[in-house]
Parts: sequence; structure tokens; C-alpha cells
Amino acid sequence: MTLSRRDIVRLAAGSGAAAALAQLGRSASMAQTRAPYRAMVGVFLFGGADGWNMIVPTDDRYAGYAAGRGPQLALAREALKPLAGTPFGLHPSLAPLRPLWDKGSLNVVLNTGVLFQPLDRRLYLSRPDLRPLHLMSHSGQQHVWQGLQARAMNVDGFMGRINDRMDGAPAISPLISVAGSSLALLGQRSSPLVLPPTGSIARHGYDASSRDAVVVARQAGLTAFADADSQGPVTRLTGLGFSRAYDQAFAANAILTRTATVDAYFKDAKGVMLNTDIAAQLLRIARLIEARSALGHARQIFFAGHGSYDTHAGQVDETDNTAGRQANLYAALAAALAAFQKAMEALGVAADVTTFTLSDFGRVYRGNAQAGSDHAWGSNHLVIGGGLAGARIHGRYPDTTFRGPEDSSDDGRWIPSIALEEYLGGVVQRFGVPAADMPYVFPNWASWNGGGRGPVPLFG
Amino acid sequence: MASPSPSILAASALACAAACAGAAALTGANPPEPRFMAPEAVTVAAFSAPDAVRLAKQATFGPTPALIAHMSQVGPAAWLDEQFALAESGYQDIIADRNIPQSYCRSKSGSEAASCKATYWQSTPVAMRFYADAVMRNDQLRQRVALALAELLVVANQDIDSTAGLATYHQLLLDNAFGNYRDLLKAVTLNAYMGDYLDMAGSTKASPNENYARELMQLFSIGEDMLNLDGSLKLDVQGAPIPAYTGSDVHEVARALTGWTCVRFPGASPKDKSRIDYTQRMIRSASDYDADAKSFLGVTVPAQASQSASVDAVVDAVFNHPNVAPYVSKSLIQQLVVSNPTPAYVERVARVFADNGQGVRGSMRSVVRAILLDPEARGDRLAAIEGKVKEPVLLAVALARAIGMTTDGYVFTTRDGVMGQPLWSAPSVFNFYPPDYPLPLGAPLVSPPSKLLTTAADVGRHNLVYDWTVEGDADRKEFKPHTQSATGTKPLWADWEAAAADVEGLMDRVNLLLLGNGMSATQRSAMRGALTAIVNKNATTQARQRAQTALYLAASSPLFQVDR
Repeated sequence: MTLSRRDIVRLAAGSGAAAALAQLGRSASMAQTRAPYRAMVGVFLFGGADGWNMIVPTDDRYAGYAAGRGPQLALAREALKPLAGTPFGLHPSLAPLRPLWDKGSLNVVLNTGVLFQPLDRRLYLSRPDLRPLHLMSHSGQQHVWQGLQARAMNVDGFMGRINDRMDGAPAISPLISVAGSSLALLGQRSSPLVLPPTGSIARHGYDASSRDAVVVARQAGLTAFADADSQGPVTRLTGLGFSRAYDQAFAANAILTRTATVDAYFKDAKGVMLNTDIAAQLLRIARLIEARSALGHARQIFFAGHGSYDTHAGQVDETDNTAGRQANLYAALAAALAAFQKAMEALGVAADVTTFTLSDFGRVYRGNAQAGSDHAWGSNHLVIGGGLAGARIHGRYPDTTFRGPEDSSDDGRWIPSIALEEYLGGVVQRFGVPAADMPYVFPNWASWNGGGRGPVPLFG
Repeated sequence: MASPSPSILAASALACAAACAGAAALTGANPPEPRFMAPEAVTVAAFSAPDAVRLAKQATFGPTPALIAHMSQVGPAAWLDEQFALAESGYQDIIADRNIPQSYCRSKSGSEAASCKATYWQSTPVAMRFYADAVMRNDQLRQRVALALAELLVVANQDIDSTAGLATYHQLLLDNAFGNYRDLLKAVTLNAYMGDYLDMAGSTKASPNENYARELMQLFSIGEDMLNLDGSLKLDVQGAPIPAYTGSDVHEVARALTGWTCVRFPGASPKDKSRIDYTQRMIRSASDYDADAKSFLGVTVPAQASQSASVDAVVDAVFNHPNVAPYVSKSLIQQLVVSNPTPAYVERVARVFADNGQGVRGSMRSVVRAILLDPEARGDRLAAIEGKVKEPVLLAVALARAIGMTTDGYVFTTRDGVMGQPLWSAPSVFNFYPPDYPLPLGAPLVSPPSKLLTTAADVGRHNLVYDWTVEGDADRKEFKPHTQSATGTKPLWADWEAAAADVEGLMDRVNLLLLGNGMSATQRSAMRGALTAIVNKNATTQARQRAQTALYLAASSPLFQVDR
């Protein structure tokens, strides 16, 4: 395939756009069109979602939960939505996800988070050199969750690095964010497509096929003024980014303006379209999955974002612990995730698409005076996909003794027992990242692969 | 750089009062823009017109012909002195007129409620005033520094229903822009809007809330890691960064900041959440204060110390931390001048922060002067590291100032969100972008505003430029007043219509004003082709359309979108 970017853009403008784009095979191993289609959808819960109220033990550990979180935050046992076959229940606002559990399309990963080395309280306190940097800092931990370097500067992200290895000559990047630019998307060679959750992105006044002399001369001017090659890297690379954005927007716009069959699933019980931001994002992702052939995508990586989950105050309502800010966020999230999964099932790709949550950190077990919780460390996360090896809860609920072996503090900031690499490793291997590329995608992969450690067996 | 004596400052201010009067562009008035001064007419050879354009990009919201003429005349140091004395912008009338209990709008319904909230709760009126002042008022440096501070000491209007409170916060930043950083930290710490935003208001001894305590240290003063004076990381023997504070410091500072609450309107109970007066400083709620001893950052506050003493101890501890000078200096350099300053530049400014030569630590006026008069800001550019992407606010306002607009600010508030920067509504206290966001494909260089350069925002930036230039005639729909009492936006094309009669002169003007004379021969040739292709039998229309196209080509280019 020797089409240049401009050829592709020109083709995309015409009626043969879909056909031309569909022919764009990818050269790298992850992108061969013969391989089964795969997609992964990361939903970043910005602000640090309180996973300790996402899933709660309902057996004899409940007493420790209720005492530890205190009346400020603890959910009543009878309010929880039991996960069949396990001693755990979901936050009541996550009830829309329970059908997914029942059909084996929902997994929970317990107490996962950023680690440099396996740690317990003793080691944590005695060996500062083994701690991840910038623990409990929003920016610091968001960087590690996206860049996967617990004790080094993160200047690119795991999704971008996967995209680096998928690079062919794409008209439209197979790495797409509907939640803005983020470190996760930055590669060392590749650029993501970053779309708004709704709407198209037409470039005003630009028409490559115009024969109007004024427009032709103006557009020749644009080409001359796009050249920043003789400038320093900040200007030059910013100019390159503009050019790539204009090309990608032009190629993508035809697809963004199409209606899609998946729209029908993003409705509430009364048939009204879900109107939350996260629903809009997941709808756009579902549409891009539906349009994967037209986009020429054999694999797709998506980045969505939801929040703010930084619930220092008002996490729960003063009079009702099942209501409040977190409950509202979880309700919006669950409705959107459930709709998305129905859409995937309808498209026949439910087994090929894996949706998973990410977040800055978990929150302190003990509630604070304002019905909220402060920054902590390990947390619980959700994985959704038709290809999961059954309804499972992975990992271990921590010993919730304050100052106990899994507490890094004196009020319940649990040290993760599953490293981020192990959690996300299970997701990206399903996506198709070959073993040889794992150290590039996860720089500390060697620390977490072998010796009794390894990717969470989400898919068996 | 020696500090000028007070008498020189006063004289400069008077000189400006006279010299700037002709260029004054105040709200509601159509400023008479003096005809453009060509480079050869500039008399002070030491400070050329392109030098003035560069300073204007750093220290103002963008060059105008009048500003460049004036800067060229007086030179950078005297211009700074003029600016330090100006205080024209502000929100005082918004604070006075819109301070009512939240319950007022809650009692309304339907469109009445919506209109009530737009007036009394939301950020739009404050953002409109910001944009109008940025486009038109002369105290440009104060406003630029206040914006830099607003992106360092961030509040956002999520969940806080008080336009007057938000205005009070931004007035505080304007008032303290050239003051002392310690005073600023203290004022911010006790500000009610911040108190609610980061949960210091209502934090109690029984269960101290760590939110403000943590971000005060991480974002407002110290940063996460120990720094050298030049802003680089201090490393331990294993080469790892050294945390600047511990979890215990966060907790102890949170304890020291317990027992504060917002003022309520008269007659409301102390816990009433719908009658909070955010225009007043927080007050003590003594029973919630933790009077036991606290230890943080090497300081111990003894038991039974007063609440005020505890707050002062916290503010002093962070203000005197060795990180503050490089942390704040680098942050302001990144906001005003360049995204990747050399360590030597940071150190020169940090030394001034630590001691301005008169024994004063934290003098913002001295720090701003040091930043803008530094050889790295005024001297030869360093090709490998130069450049700072214009964030959306700066892009829109610089374009408006280059065109010559009067505005009530509204149109900007309908544009900034598309470009990723809905003013005063940052997604969190971490601002719209982090200070260490990597330059895409260019790490380890950083480019903080590049966080906002999404595919959609890139197109949005282009469309802003296209719409306001090529499609930017005075009758453009979005320029019309959005309510009956609004005044809308007026582009002043007359001056451009005069300037564009001569294509070469038009290109000279655009090249200087927007690109600091950075246009290449190839670009000039292409621009000439684009301009001469425009032919209209009405000479005025032809001139305007040519000017609009010249502005479009220049302002949409990376040469304008990145300041250097």
C-alpha cells in the first residue's frame, strides 16, 4: 500500500472513502486484518474513585468494613446488590451491571494499584526506596496509571506505546480518545485521534477540491504557513500536530456524522436517550466500533473519562449513605457501561471488546467529618467483556485492620496486592499485545511476569 | 537589575497617563487606535518593534499597534514600571451587585431560575469581564500575572453557586499580582470560595479534611519533590527524587487548618448551606479547631496556640520552604515566557524570589520584573527550547487585540470550551493542564498547554481564527449582543481597510504584529498570491477582505499559535 496521507484524505472525501479506508492494511503484527478484531476501552475515573464502596464483602468481613468506614461512609449490608456465588455485593447504584455478572461478562479485580515491588506495611515503612513516587497525589498517580513507571518520569503512556507498535500508514489513528488528550495516549512515534464526545469537527472554510481561485490561493497560503520546520521543536511539533489533526478530522468527519444502529441501546427504561457525559462518550466509542471497517481498523484502543470522583466531602448524603456524589457518579457510569455492553452484543463483538476502569487511587477506608474520604492507594476495579472466563472476582480483599499488615498509614490506605501491570497486563494481552512487546508497553514488566506474578487471568 | 526608586515609578506612571491616553481602550469606548508605526520609524534602536512584539506576547494579552509603538518608545524596564502602577481591571461591581443568598435562585423555577443562576451563580459574568478587560484595559501585565496565578492557585465554579464569590477570588489575585507571595497564600487560604472548593471550610478536629492541606503544598507552594534552586530535582544517593513532604505533614497541616467556616448572610444559621456569603473571608468555628500540638515541615505549633497562629505557622512553613522560590518562579516563567526555561533562568529568578535585593522574600513585582527582563526573555532565542503554545484564552484574546475589537466578553465564553479551556471551570484544582505535560513526540521537552491540543480543539482553534477573520465582518451573528442589555463585540476593520490599500504594507503590518517579523520569503510570496487573488470592485471591501485573509494565514499558523 503506497497511498500517501494526502491521497488518503482525498479519497476519504469522495464516495469511495469507505472502500479505500477499508483497504488500509496494517503492517505490524497487531494490526493484521486476518487476526480477530479486538478493542479495549479504558474508562478513567478521574479524581480517585472510592472502590471500597464499589464492592463490599457481605460475609463476616462486613463487620470490619462497617467499623472501618464508620457511619460516615459505610453502606448497609441489605442495600448492597449481591454478586451471585460470591460473598460480595455491589454499590446499589451499580445495579445495572448485575446482569453482566450473571452472564459472566463482569469481573472485579480487588485491591490493585501502583507498585514498584511487592510490599507489606513493614517493607513499606522501612524501605522508602521501594515505594512508588508521588503516592496519594492526583497528578503523580494519574501519571503512573497511564505511563506505568512507578519510580521514573512518565513522558508517554501505555496506550500510545501500543499504538506505536500498530503503526502503519493510518488515515485515522486506531487509538482514539473521547476524553481529551492524556498521557496514556502519547506514544513515542504515533499520535492519537482526540474527539469530542459529541458533534462533528469540520474545518471551516477548507475545501481541498475547490476550484475557486481565491480559495485555491488562500489554501496555498495555508500550506506555506503550516511550515514550521525551521523553528524549534515546540513550534515545529505543534505545527505537525495541527497538520495531523486537520487530516484526521477530515477523514473522520464523514464517519462522525453518520447515524448508527448502536444508538438504540443508549436509552433509559423510558426510552429516553441517556444524557450523561459518560454515556455520550461510550456511545461515540460504540459508533466507532460499528464503523471499524470503514475506518480500516482491525484493532481499536479507546480512552474515556468520567468524574470527578475526588470525594473529599459529600461522597455520601448526610442522611442516606446510598445517595450522594459517589452514588450519582456510579449510577451514570453503570447505566452507560450496561448500554455499551448491550450495543457490543448487538454488533456481535462483545467477546472482542474489553472495557476496564482506571483511577488515580483508592480512598482512605475511614471516612472524614464531611461524609467524604481522602486520598489513598489500592482500590477495586471493573472489567467488562463477553470474552471473560466467567464471573470472577480476582485477588484478595485486604485485611482491613488499621495499622495492620496491609495498611500504609493508620487509617486504612491499603497497599495494593495486585500490581497495575498485572491488572492491565491481562487486558492488553487479550487485545493482542505480543509477549515481545510487553516490556515496551509496560517498562517494569519483568518485575511482574514470572516468579509467581503475572497477568490477572481474566480470560482464563 | 536595580529596583527603581518610588519617585521614578511615580514619574513613569504619570508619563504613561499622558502617553497612553490616546491608546486607552476602556470598556464601552471605541479606542482611537493610532496609525501603525512602521519599524523604521522607531527611534530607540535598542528596543526594536519585533522586540516589543515579543515582550507584548509575554507580558500582555497580545500586541496592538499602539502598544508596540509605546513599548518601543519607552523600552521594557520603563514599560514595566508603568504597568506595575496600573490597576484598572476588576470585578468590584460584580462582587457588590451579585452577592445574594443561594436560596434566592433556589426559590425560582423554569426560565426564571435559569436566568437567576446565570446572573448570580455561574462563572460566565466573571469570565466575560475577564475577557473584556483582557482585550481592552491597559493594566495588561497585572491581568496576565493574575491569569498565571489563577492557573497556579486554581478554583473552579463546580458545585459553588456564587458569581460574587468567584469574582471575589479573582479580584484577590488581581490585587495581589504585584504584592508578596506570602500575603497571597494567606489570603487564598482564608478565602471562602477556596475554603469551600477544597473543603477547608468545615474541616474539624474529629476528622480533619486533607484536601486543602495537600494541594496547598503540592500545587500552591512546594511541589511534590525537593528542588534545587534552578528548579531541577534533588536526587538521593540512588538517583531517585526526594519527597518534599510526607503523609504525616499533610495530616498535621490539615489539623492546623481545622475550625474555619464561611460567613452566612444575616439571620442564617451557622450551618446553612444556602445562605453563604462567599465575598467574605472565612471565620473561626472555635469548637471544631484542633488545639493540640501539631508538627509539620520541621515546624511545631504548640498546644493551645490560637487558630490564627496555626494558620500563620502553616503559611510561614510553606512560604519559607526552599522549594517555593524555584517552584513559583518556574511556574510563572512557564506561564509568561517559555515552557522549557533553562535551569539557569529559573535560578536567576528564584534568587530574586528568595531575596529581591532589599531583603524581601516573595516580592511578586521583583519576580515578574526578573522574569521579563531576563536575558532568556529579552535576548537571543535558544532554538532547542524556545516556544510556548498559546493556550486558548491567550489565542482568542491575542487575535481580538490584533484585529482590534471592543467586546463585552460574551463571544469568548462561547468559544473557549470548544478549545478546551472554559474559563474559570477547570476540571479540577490541577488546572486545565499540568506543568509537566510532555511535548507530544518531543519528550523530554514539556509543553503544558499541549494537553489541550486535541484533534477537535486544533480544528476549533483554526475555526476561531477563520471565523473572526475571513468571516469576521462587523455583522457576524455571534458578535451581536446576546441579551438586550449586552453590548456585543465589534471588530474595528476601518483601520485595516486603510492599511490594506497597499498589499506590501499590509503584509509588513501583519508580519510584525502577529509574527514578530518571522515570515519567510516563501510564506510572504504565498500570502501575496492569496491577497492579490481577492478582487472586488468596491475598494474598501477588497482591502478588508485582503486584510482578513492576511490575518487568517498568519494567525492560524504555528508561528502565531506558538509564542516565541
